[in-house]
Amino acid sequence: MKTNTMSYKCKQFLMFAGVTTAVFVAVVIVPFIYGIYLTLTSWDGVSKEKPFVGLANYVATFADGAYWQAMGRTFLYSVIAVVLVNVVAFVLAFLVTSGVKGQNFFRAGFFTPNLIGGIVLGYIWKFVFNRAFVALGTSLSIGPLSSSWLATTGGAMLCLIIVSVWQYAGYMMLIYVAGFMSVSEDVLEAARIDGCTNTQSIVYVSVPLMMSSFVQCLFLTVTRCFMVYDVNLSLTNGEPFNSSVMAAMHVYNQAFTYKNFGVGQAEALILFVVCAVVGVLQVYVGKKGEVSA
Amino acid sequence: MKKKLLAATLAAAMTASLTACGGSDSAQEKGDGVSITIFNSKIEVQAQFEEMAKEYSEATGVNVEVYYSNDTVAAHLATRYSSNDPYTLSMVDAKDVYSLAEDHAIDLSGEKWVENTNYALSVGGKVVGFPVCVEARGLIYNGDAIEKITGEAFNPEDYATLDAFQGLLEKLAAGGMETPTGIMKEDWSLAGHFLSEVYEMQDDVDGFITSLHEGTADLANNAKWNGKMDYFDTMMKYNYAASSAIAAEREVSEQKLAEGEIAFMFGGNWDWSMINAYEYSENMGIMPVPENTSDGSNKKLVGGGSKYFFIDSSENTSEEQRQAAKDFLNWLVFDEAGNAFLTEKCALVPAYKNIAAAGLDPLSVSVKSYADAGNLIDNYNYLPDDHFSLCGAAFQKYLAGQMDRAGLAKEVEAYWASTAPVER
Repeated sequence: MKTNTMSYKCKQFLMFAGVTTAVFVAVVIVPFIYGIYLTLTSWDGVSKEKPFVGLANYVATFADGAYWQAMGRTFLYSVIAVVLVNVVAFVLAFLVTSGVKGQNFFRAGFFTPNLIGGIVLGYIWKFVFNRAFVALGTSLSIGPLSSSWLATTGGAMLCLIIVSVWQYAGYMMLIYVAGFMSVSEDVLEAARIDGCTNTQSIVYVSVPLMMSSFVQCLFLTVTRCFMVYDVNLSLTNGEPFNSSVMAAMHVYNQAFTYKNFGVGQAEALILFVVCAVVGVLQVYVGKKGEVSA
Repeated sequence: MKKKLLAATLAAAMTASLTACGGSDSAQEKGDGVSITIFNSKIEVQAQFEEMAKEYSEATGVNVEVYYSNDTVAAHLATRYSSNDPYTLSMVDAKDVYSLAEDHAIDLSGEKWVENTNYALSVGGKVVGFPVCVEARGLIYNGDAIEKITGEAFNPEDYATLDAFQGLLEKLAAGGMETPTGIMKEDWSLAGHFLSEVYEMQDDVDGFITSLHEGTADLANNAKWNGKMDYFDTMMKYNYAASSAIAAEREVSEQKLAEGEIAFMFGGNWDWSMINAYEYSENMGIMPVPENTSDGSNKKLVGGGSKYFFIDSSENTSEEQRQAAKDFLNWLVFDEAGNAFLTEKCALVPAYKNIAAAGLDPLSVSVKSYADAGNLIDNYNYLPDDHFSLCGAAFQKYLAGQMDRAGLAKEVEAYWASTAPVER
């Protein structure tokens, strides 16, 4: 049988990837293209007509001050959360691979928050911030704790960041743990023989060798932070005064609550583009830094 | 060969079960073959609806299925319509009827129940919305808690004016209940329910809204605005959560109110579904928002029909299904079992004159007494969709003490001036 004909290749492809491709096209590609089409209409979500309005929705998007404020907020939140998540995750990973007693227990423990869904997590922390901290603060008369952080504009953002770090650090820790484990003992031993201190062997040997872990973790955290919705919804719901509305929540409100489907869809598309550009750029830069031993 | 046959049969069986799950087939195997779907948007009565569906199916042979969704009503129906799988009967809010009726609802003008209600919704001269119940907003009070301190019977009509109301609050505070009020900080409560009373109590509501759009309305010097805000300031002064008003959780406020730690909170009869989760006092009710005025509005609640059924008009619903849906609506209004379902099982205030409602909860009893006496000021159903969120955010700033009354008036005026009028 000839194996280099077009028809053979097609058959092979269809046999192995046909179903997956069809499903992928049906549930991702087609809705995506249809979504782009919707940005050109002034559809309200339910009516039969979808009046074509050209680029008016994009004009409205650029004029939507609340959207760009939400974007700015999301940027700020993402930058701080991404840095904190990764620093905490890296330190945790280092601690649980350095041979402390019961390190498997700690690994499981730090990972657990990630198993709780974002919505539930938000409600749990809402209770902690609104009641537990306040009760603690009033009984011990600690000024900053005696009123709920969720009631202030800066405080609500801070709470979001704290919860995100708590949620994601364990997950990213696992990836860093895998990175630490993949650094072979020989290299580290060689470094020690050459006179490296512990810090030096981490900075100059382990870190460069586990660059792929960093790329993965950063990519995951950046995209997740940009698209944050569940914690945002259950923890603050945009309050106080809509000052903690993130981009994804604004898009949802615009489309479904305010019933500006077209504008909401256009804003979602722009959010997607921003997110994709940041993600791809970061992977590209990260890949360049990868080395192999 | 046998194996192939078996595999083929299995595959066929699985495909068949898949299509059966699809649910878009209107054909039914049993009974008269009619099957209708109902979308319920009141989570608190979902269990009752499911139970009713079973009993109704057994009694009439019409197969009824009830659905609920956590999504907002409009968003959920949008997905059902775009997948060509609409409900036969959908329970929605008034504003959804206005946006959906033209394309998706059938004319119900000829139905018998239309004469029995004041709250049917019409679009373009045709009755399209079947009112499910009556709901109204006002000041919820806990009579037991008040009487315990004052030692005399609490009669809400004595406190129609703000002066009298303030006197009572002072008395309560002096008597040991230092903070007798609670305020819901949710934007839908502040702007959607409370601020909207400012519009709804104007002499000419539509004219007032138009003047807001045009930027000619002067809120700061509007009698209704100042009346409502004077009341709100009073509530803020005695708020149990005054130091952290915008962190107050609704559950906590409702619990305090139910158990008599506070005596007053603005809300509606739907709040009963939360209050009855706690050790509530029997002697509760809803009274009009106190205001120093002589126009009579301080003797009325604001409300009317709430939640409407409409019947789908698309080709996805057959004539038989539409007839079955109409029969179902008639059953609710004219059949004893239907009446009992609405008023006893679901504890809803009926929107129909022929339904006598005994055994309602205390808040609904208040609402019904105001409704029966014609003392309800109509809801304004044409607020823009983002009104509650954007004006609510400004109102929260006021509640937090970060904005004064003039500032709030400016924000609300700016919101209206920058918003396109709702098409109707």
